[in-house]
Amino acid sequence: MNLSTFNQERIVLIATVLVVIFAAIVLPGFLNVTNLISIVRSISVLGILALGMAIVIIGRGIDLSMVAIMAMSIAWYLQMLHTGYGETEALMLVLLAVVFIGAVNGFLVAYADVPPIFVTLATGLFVFGFVRSQLIPSDAVTVPAGHWLEAVGAARFAGIPVDVFVFLTLAFATFLFLRFTKWGRYVYYAGDNPAAARNIGIPVRPMLVLRYILSALFSFIAGLLTAASLLSIQTRVINSNLLYDVILVAVIGGIGLSGGKGGVRNVLIGAALIGILLNVMTIANISLLLQNLIKSTILLAAIILDGWLNPRDEQTAQQGDI
Amino acid sequence: MKPIIKMENVSKFYRKVPAIRNVDFDLRKGEIHALLGENGAGKSTLTKIMAGVVEATDGQMLYKGKPACFATPNEALHAGIAMVFQETSLVPSMTVAQNLYLGSENFLNRLRGIYISAQQFLQSLNFQVDPRALVATLGAASQQMIEIARAVHHNAEVIIFDEPTATLTPEEKRHFFALLRRLKESGVSIIFISHALEEALEISDRITILRDGELVETGDTKDYDRDRIIAAMVGRTLTEEIYGEHKERETRKAGKRILAVHDISMGTIVRNTSFSVFTGQITGVFGLIGSGRTETFKVVSGVFKRNFKRGGSIELEDRRVRYLTPAEAVADGIIYVTEDRKGEGIFETMGIGENLFGGLLASGHNKGWIVRRKDIRDLATQWIERLNIKAINADARVVELSGGNQQKVVIGKGLCQKPRLVIFDEPTRGVDVGAIAEIHQLINDLADQGIAVVVISSYLPEILNLSDRILVCRQGRIVEEFTPEDATEETVMYASVH
Repeated sequence: MNLSTFNQERIVLIATVLVVIFAAIVLPGFLNVTNLISIVRSISVLGILALGMAIVIIGRGIDLSMVAIMAMSIAWYLQMLHTGYGETEALMLVLLAVVFIGAVNGFLVAYADVPPIFVTLATGLFVFGFVRSQLIPSDAVTVPAGHWLEAVGAARFAGIPVDVFVFLTLAFATFLFLRFTKWGRYVYYAGDNPAAARNIGIPVRPMLVLRYILSALFSFIAGLLTAASLLSIQTRVINSNLLYDVILVAVIGGIGLSGGKGGVRNVLIGAALIGILLNVMTIANISLLLQNLIKSTILLAAIILDGWLNPRDEQTAQQGDI
Repeated sequence: MKPIIKMENVSKFYRKVPAIRNVDFDLRKGEIHALLGENGAGKSTLTKIMAGVVEATDGQMLYKGKPACFATPNEALHAGIAMVFQETSLVPSMTVAQNLYLGSENFLNRLRGIYISAQQFLQSLNFQVDPRALVATLGAASQQMIEIARAVHHNAEVIIFDEPTATLTPEEKRHFFALLRRLKESGVSIIFISHALEEALEISDRITILRDGELVETGDTKDYDRDRIIAAMVGRTLTEEIYGEHKERETRKAGKRILAVHDISMGTIVRNTSFSVFTGQITGVFGLIGSGRTETFKVVSGVFKRNFKRGGSIELEDRRVRYLTPAEAVADGIIYVTEDRKGEGIFETMGIGENLFGGLLASGHNKGWIVRRKDIRDLATQWIERLNIKAINADARVVELSGGNQQKVVIGKGLCQKPRLVIFDEPTRGVDVGAIAEIHQLINDLADQGIAVVVISSYLPEILNLSDRILVCRQGRIVEEFTPEDATEETVMYASVH
């Protein structure tokens, strides 16, 4: 058996199975239905964000503005409803703003050649600062009584919250996009080798803008679901380590930060491991500090193992630092 | 006299392709030794082994009479061998003085101190550079001078210069030669790689000529003149194995003019060059490294943009075009097959099928928006057979293939875009002998089908063997045109050096 069949994806899958087995034996109540449902629900929002992040990372970028877009777009949307805008009007305005921010991200990365990590860090902070100071009066905005988001939050199919179905639908749609459509395949070509992609005539830069718009839209959907389940949106979520968890999910599942590698399956596996792990650690009453330590250790281990088993470039890996 | 460096039977193979074979070379103390040869003759590889940049596959090197093998350039530097590279290895965001002392700073690195000593040092070399200037703000020539100063500063006993004069003005060149003579008098041994034969004749004490990775001859400079050097550079041994005798072949007649380029310019690299390309024949473009041959055709294929003002004009079948991206050129049927396979040719995480399919997808010849796995597999099977790509299966990753097969994938990627004009840039660089013949056959077939083909190469036999028309590029422009009947290795080489 070839050693490199143990790629990161499989390592993580094995780890997930081990965690499940361990938890099922040691922790009573882990395997009961309510807990399992709470696991899948908890990874839905995280998973949707990770899908958007995955599309960007596969194309050799990163989007640090996702959480800001998620929280601030919804906060503004709800605030507009409170101040008397019509439903369609508010929704249109907020969608326009979301697409605009995504396009700004993409434009700055593609046409102004600014590294994505700085562009999205800055736009994320800008969005937060602008909306919080100019458009909404307080940190949290509630969902107005009788709004359709209430119904979404309360809806259940076969006892499973709607979030889960939204996540699965989006995952499937992303899978179809990345695997079977022309533009989806372009993401991989541009992520693997941007110069070669440009040479063979792929419109590399417009595609880049598209990816950041997609990730912004995914953030918006994740925000809607958050608001639906909590009946309000807390803008301070920007200061939490949610963004870190999103990147963790994408990267731990095996989506290479160097681009061109991975797919929806990797997001699902990553989300499963992180969701289950968070659940187990909460049931086992492990403190938040220790949880972060454990998460980061797993991430480091996964990246190091993957780099060791699957060097991206054999020649460079062998020749060392010349 | 005892040599300071002696290479005994040294060979270096890159993925089983020899870069140099069984070379015996010696460098005497206090001499200037010119190393000459065509591109790809193995000059750089030979010197890189001495400087510890690459390791020899076979043979050994004696340094001051003792066997030496440097694992890194730094080890070689500390032993007293410095190499000045073609591309500079300076840190652009640091000042001149900081770069000079890079790697040899004291623990407490006082800037004032190094500025003063750098000033004195640069003055002693007669270099007019401000030690406080940022390297990024300097021109290519000044950067080259700092690079040289750094080698001198390390008290190197052997300094290797790889094409040092390419970026220098005549004035700077005089300073540089004066410096070389002074270094030589102080006992430093110098290896000097150059394309400019006059320079080699002027400055060197001995000359070594390499060809196809083998050492042809070494001798005192006074026994040489320009013609003898050129004859030694182009005389063939290995070549004849591949290309056979100068084959009797029919020159293809020019079809209709598909591309007319007038006066295009791009920065300082492409300068007011004009030429035409015709369908149904192979236009060979010969030029040495730095002559702008690649850049000229990258402008044609939209990879680079020509100057916005006074950039000249390009006409594709009497229609004026200005491509901002390669996508537009591809849509018009112009394909550029890159010389830099790894950097901008292949998609290394992907298989053969997906690499080929990328071309099809981007050209818009794939029907519809849906990508089916079966289409990819069919395309791969079809092209693997057509191009005779040797791989375990269609899903084999491209990085696992040999250079020749990788090149075939890159070519196939372009050909499935149904081109009308194909530009091959160094189509056989790093390609094994068997594949060279196959690729040449493929290029000939394309021309026979009536497609316009351009072959850019710095390898003369390749140009002479393939072309129906030969253009020579020098200093950013096409300077001469030959018919295959007129062209000999000597005349073409003569036109390309100045």
